[in-house]
Amino acid sequence: MAEGLIVRSLRDGSIPGEHAPALCLEDSLPSPLASQSHAIFRHLLTSLLSAATGTGTGTGIVLVAFHRSPSFYLSLLNPTFHNSIRILDCYSDPLAWKWNHHPPPPLHSPQNITLLTNLNHLHHFLSSILHLAKDLGAQGHERVTVAIDSVTHMLRHAPLPSVLQLLTNLRCHEKISSLFWLIHADLHEPKVISSFEYISTMIASLQPIVQLPDYANANISASITSLEENYSKAKFNVRLKRRNGRVKLLCEELLIEQGSVKFSSVPSVSSVVAQNLIPKVQFNIQLSDKERMDRANVVLPFEHQGNGQSIEIYDGRRFLTESQKNPISTKIVSLSEQKRSNNNNSEKGEIHYIRDSDDEQPDSDEDPDDDLDI
Amino acid sequence: MATGGGQQPRPTRPSSFSRVSSSSSSSPASSSSTSISLPPGVRIGANGAAFVSSGIPDLDRILGGGFLVGSVVMVMEDADAPHHLLLLRNFMSQGIVHGQSVLFAGPTMEPRSFLGTLPAPVVQKEGLKIKHDASDVQDKEKGLRIAWQYKKYFGEQTAVDSHNRDRKQEFSSDFDLRKPLERQLLNSQNIECISTQDACDLSKLQNHCFTFVSKLSMKDGVNSNAGRIAIQSLCAPQCGYFEKDWDMLSFIRSLRAMVRSSNAVAVITFPASVLSNSISKRWQHLADTLLSVRAIPDEDKDLAKLLTGYQDMLGFLHVHKVAQFNSQVPVILDASTYSLKLQKRKSLVLERLNQAPVEGSSGVSYATSGSCSSSKGSLLDF
Repeated sequence: MAEGLIVRSLRDGSIPGEHAPALCLEDSLPSPLASQSHAIFRHLLTSLLSAATGTGTGTGIVLVAFHRSPSFYLSLLNPTFHNSIRILDCYSDPLAWKWNHHPPPPLHSPQNITLLTNLNHLHHFLSSILHLAKDLGAQGHERVTVAIDSVTHMLRHAPLPSVLQLLTNLRCHEKISSLFWLIHADLHEPKVISSFEYISTMIASLQPIVQLPDYANANISASITSLEENYSKAKFNVRLKRRNGRVKLLCEELLIEQGSVKFSSVPSVSSVVAQNLIPKVQFNIQLSDKERMDRANVVLPFEHQGNGQSIEIYDGRRFLTESQKNPISTKIVSLSEQKRSNNNNSEKGEIHYIRDSDDEQPDSDEDPDDDLDI
Repeated sequence: MATGGGQQPRPTRPSSFSRVSSSSSSSPASSSSTSISLPPGVRIGANGAAFVSSGIPDLDRILGGGFLVGSVVMVMEDADAPHHLLLLRNFMSQGIVHGQSVLFAGPTMEPRSFLGTLPAPVVQKEGLKIKHDASDVQDKEKGLRIAWQYKKYFGEQTAVDSHNRDRKQEFSSDFDLRKPLERQLLNSQNIECISTQDACDLSKLQNHCFTFVSKLSMKDGVNSNAGRIAIQSLCAPQCGYFEKDWDMLSFIRSLRAMVRSSNAVAVITFPASVLSNSISKRWQHLADTLLSVRAIPDEDKDLAKLLTGYQDMLGFLHVHKVAQFNSQVPVILDASTYSLKLQKRKSLVLERLNQAPVEGSSGVSYATSGSCSSSKGSLLDF
């Protein structure tokens, strides 16, 4: 379900008036990178490409390849999709070692473009991406998604604020409908990772299923072999930022077999938020307007109601003929929650006042404590 | 305890940790015994300190009168939710409605477009006000005598009588978040907008703030207008000066000095998660009033069981620090976490968190209603 939500959101693109959705895919060392995160990356690529809508062609993708060569990606994809993808080749020669003075030779396949090898100027980068996006748009793809192989590689060449500015500008641009990138969480400081999370709308992170063994334990060998599970399985945690300001947290299990990725759901984890709140939460003892009116209407069980009626006392022994006159309906609850309802409600609560003895005068104005000598 | 009514003689304070609010308040409309007339939207509170409204009446009440003039308010953003924008919008709208000068700085290319999202004040109808007064009076007469320790929870409601409500309306207005502010108010000359995205350093912003603040006091010293500075996401990671931690800290320090000696209030929001821990702590220490907003997880069954009104909540607001001028007595709040809600989908209210009553016998909790009005519930023996 998490994966479906992500793909759908990337495919739908941006709502007019808002920035494009952006997915930040994070992985870490305990769940080995090369196989899993790229598997998911590829999975996303293929699912976006294969989503052919009824009316027109599906999404076009501009792929910025840093980590693997463009031919690798092309070989992965179905040949029918080769037309919907444009690859910006930042893998072959990022530092301009080969094509220092001469322009790069034209390549045989039209889809690849060798990047301007000077990666320090990211505005060239931005314009190349936009150029490719326009290309795809001209071909009839109504939505263009930009996929960045890994932002970690980009950060080698350019400082953090400029990379973030580039991503934000891509999100704002009208030609781009969605954006996703991969980042290796262990290779950066926490504030770098949180900056990328700050500008993205969806955050997916991979965590190992089996934690690293505790070496103090005797049972090392058994736990090491179970670590092998980490190579094929992982926990897929997704955090979605919704429009109403709430965060949707999802956790699923990921299984990689023979190059394809399968997602399965796992029982949900309890939130940490509730634990933080418990000491600060209190009971609500305020009354709403209706409750205040009801409370004001209740007839209290004083024998002397002050309205000229004769004094009637219920002592539990006689049959209640007077019950119709004052049906007192209140509930006996703790002091912290007192609500009174209207007389006309047929509520079940009652106040029973049983007199101590028949000698008592009904409701005299004397204070029985008057004879105390303080 | 808070007692209302500016007409009554000054009450004695029951404890030294309470805050006597508005006991000597003077309304901007009527002239009081003091000879100084205040600029619009400013109110004198306890200890001779001046307040401006934050735009959210509940927040003014929680902070003991509003934002202190001359203080710096910092709001720690949550990376997942845009609630800090709600606070900023109300703050700026309140300033514009009162005719105060507003300076806005944001990390976007077009900060002026943010002005288009400012809410308009709610128009109060006359009939509603009068009806409210009558029911209040009736309740006071027929009130039950409840245990003294609970009186303080009720004191807040009944203490505000109609005269106070009038004055309160002028000081702080309710804003309708669905209606945008009128265009002619936005085109006035005392609203400036600056973009911080492409700036390599903060010197330009600092100069702007300096000229803004000095313009405030350039008018004849008595009737100078109050000013509001609103800076959105000061340390946003896409700004060019993001890596320069110490530059940002020294900017805040100089802003504090500028604001303290003038009639301005500065509200700065910043995403604390993108700063390193030590630098984030320094930012928090520089604030006079520190708030933070937090997002709530969606469709969380545990939270729904724990809190009433979970479906309506937008997020949480924590109050970490409240500014206090001219006094050594700290402000100690009853509760520091409030929930942000939209009342009737239009105006922002802050409510204390209330625990949903738990059904003892059947183990089902009333997640949707806070009252147990049905007597099918278990009878608790006390």
